[in-house]
Amino acid sequence: MDKDKFKVLNRYHVVFLVQNVMVGTSILSLPNRLSSMGYSQWWMPLLFGVIANIVLIPMIWLALKYRDDHLFAIHEKLLGKWLGKSINIFLVAYFVVIIAAVCASYIQLIQVVALVDRTITGPLIILLLMIIYIVNGGIKSVARFCIMAFFLTLGTVFILKWGFVEGEISHMLPIFNFNAQEFYTATKNGLMAVGGFELISFYFPYIIDQRKALKHASLGIWLCVLLTFLFTFVSVMFFSEWQLKHLIYPVLNLFKEVELSFLERIDVLGITLWVFLILSTTAAYLWAAKRGLDSILSTAKSAHLYMIVIAVYLVVQIPFMQEFQKLLFERIFYVMYVMFVWPILLCIIHVMKPKRTRG
Amino acid sequence: MSYWNGDNNEEVTNSTSTTQNDKVLITIAMIKSKLYGINDATFKDIQTGEELVTIIYFSSLIEKLTLHRTVILPLLTQKEELVKFADVPAQINLADIVSTIIEGNTIVYFHTKNIFAIVNTYSPPMSSIIGSDTESSVIGPQDAFTESLQTNLSLIKRRIQNTSLKNKDYIVGTETNTKISVVYMEHIVNKDNLDKVHKKIVDIKHPGFNDISILEQLMDDHPFSPIPQYLATVRPDAVASYLLDGRIAIFMNNSQAVMICPISFFELFTSPEDAYNRWTTASLLRTLRFFGFFLSVILTPTYISVLTHHPEMLPFNALLNLQESRGKVPFPPILEVLFMELVIEILREAGTRMPSKIGQTIGIVGGIVIGTAAVEASLVSNVLIVIVAISALLSFLSPNFTLSNSNRAIRYIFIVAAGMFGLYGQMIAFAWLFHHLLTLTSLGTPFMTPVIPRKWTDFLNSVVRAPFFFDKRKSGVANVQSKKAPPIEKGE
Repeated sequence: MDKDKFKVLNRYHVVFLVQNVMVGTSILSLPNRLSSMGYSQWWMPLLFGVIANIVLIPMIWLALKYRDDHLFAIHEKLLGKWLGKSINIFLVAYFVVIIAAVCASYIQLIQVVALVDRTITGPLIILLLMIIYIVNGGIKSVARFCIMAFFLTLGTVFILKWGFVEGEISHMLPIFNFNAQEFYTATKNGLMAVGGFELISFYFPYIIDQRKALKHASLGIWLCVLLTFLFTFVSVMFFSEWQLKHLIYPVLNLFKEVELSFLERIDVLGITLWVFLILSTTAAYLWAAKRGLDSILSTAKSAHLYMIVIAVYLVVQIPFMQEFQKLLFERIFYVMYVMFVWPILLCIIHVMKPKRTRG
Repeated sequence: MSYWNGDNNEEVTNSTSTTQNDKVLITIAMIKSKLYGINDATFKDIQTGEELVTIIYFSSLIEKLTLHRTVILPLLTQKEELVKFADVPAQINLADIVSTIIEGNTIVYFHTKNIFAIVNTYSPPMSSIIGSDTESSVIGPQDAFTESLQTNLSLIKRRIQNTSLKNKDYIVGTETNTKISVVYMEHIVNKDNLDKVHKKIVDIKHPGFNDISILEQLMDDHPFSPIPQYLATVRPDAVASYLLDGRIAIFMNNSQAVMICPISFFELFTSPEDAYNRWTTASLLRTLRFFGFFLSVILTPTYISVLTHHPEMLPFNALLNLQESRGKVPFPPILEVLFMELVIEILREAGTRMPSKIGQTIGIVGGIVIGTAAVEASLVSNVLIVIVAISALLSFLSPNFTLSNSNRAIRYIFIVAAGMFGLYGQMIAFAWLFHHLLTLTSLGTPFMTPVIPRKWTDFLNSVVRAPFFFDKRKSGVANVQSKKAPPIEKGE
């Protein structure tokens, strides 16, 4: 359908692609990741928003210089064929691990909360099949799914009501009760919650109104930051410092506090509904990975999509040493931070490069 | 006409001479050989005053009285009268003559002048214009389309008296040669859509069409989808309002339903009656229909999920009740649900196929007997009976019968998903359903309009029906060209 046309993403698509790809499982555990800062953590998402927005500027600047190229092509143009392709191979591998990490952490959550005592093979396979189905429709299809996912899951904000009502507003103070080491740890662990917007470097050529992309992407970032902020804020209000440190998924515990006369254990409903957000995040990464493999092999084949998905499946399922896998999934997010600053480096290379060789 | 005017003899000879070559080739024997083996093809020789006339027609398509009144009587008494309403083409070939006869016209052949005249005598027995059983309404017009293309077009032309109401005829069906008519408002309709329709119709190579629903499926953008992508309606008022919104209506001879394209998913839940109700009531009912569709899809699967995978989700008392009700049932919930759903399907199917009186009995007796006896025999729990019955009723809320059928097909996907993975499976199935709806298109227009791509004004007539004075614009689905009708010049 839309695959033939090149420029397909309108402003709403951009806003929600940015917003929805950012929301993954990390929001569920964010208050725990920020726990080194104690109660002072509640404003951290706002800081992350500012960082994300600043980092976004060089990305868009670079993309505007190469309007019809995604980052994979920009690499080859700026760094030369061999170096560019090698970096692209690394990037695709990074995407595979990130998709695997998101899927694995979500499926494990499902296993713990909803499908107790079940193997993860079945749920993982249908999740991957669903992602393939979404990605098959092209980036516009992913964007549409993001919009749908946003509105379907927006209702989960309502569950914050219970935490808000029962929480203690005095937890907000004092604000600056932390030292530099704690701040560093919290930032290092928590910044990944805003990761995802960097994918704009890959779908930028498909945006119709590229001049306003910065505005729309910023809107998406702040929409996500607002939601993240709400969840962190209420978690800080509701939990004690000890709880924040020891509960791995504090937001999930917020779900459990919901009291309805006709339904108990809302967390089961909440965590299964979360699949929409997981699908939109992983679908966007998978789409980008597929583009990467296309550009590395210089042909666009749908088989590439299946190759990547099989790779993802293997990363999640092959009995690695569990410790190694855990470490891999934990550390891969640091590559994301490299991705944040990478465009700045590329911008410098672009400026330094003699004009005639530019794309 | 001039052929018959005694004063213009010269002109007669001129015009016959120009077409002489064509006409000389066609003889009665040739027509006879073309129509060989058709019992009702009638060749009747009539000796009028000065010459021999042969009339050729299909007796099954023409009422005797009509033939007598329009052809035979004028031939015998006033020949000029006959020719006043007869069509005398300047040029005609054998294929034309044969197709004219097949269409139900009568050919009058004047032997001495070697002229073929065509008289429109098509008058097969037709059902009269009555209300529809499938799309009945309490208020609003009660007439429905019939199987005659001409009658159906007249029902629309009575409603829209405007010269920009155009129609374009096609013949489809390589064997049946069925006539279809594409109707649209010329100044409103999107020309691209019109081109797409034209292209699709021309490309269709199908032997026969008994109903427009076959054409509808052949024209689908996504033929493998369970969801109907065009609207079929038998109500002239609905078609008229869609035409005014810039849609294209396709009429087919011998089909009671008329196809509307393009449409959006939301329009499958609208009934023409909504326009005649107060906006509050209409909105309420439409919301019910819309959410009823999704509720009907998730009710029984949720029963399976909760009982099989997440019993902890239910409050203790509710769980206790449910377990008590299910206590003696020896099967897992998924088999219980599948059994009951299939029973409902069987009852429905049997009820539809039987003559109406027996059908009702089967429905009532079968429903009650199977319902209560199945519980007493501990085959199913009575909670499930209630849930299955409600979801069956919900599936019929949609005014579109095809959609309610797809609803049931989709439900089985959800049931299996819920049986395998509980709520997680259901959510994945939901993601599939939503994404599928998002990718569907109707004549190239996204099916989930107005949600994606958005057109804010469309929300006023989607799940809700806002008061008419808010809803001034044409809908985004139609993608219309102009918003105003050209002014009608009125005489002094």
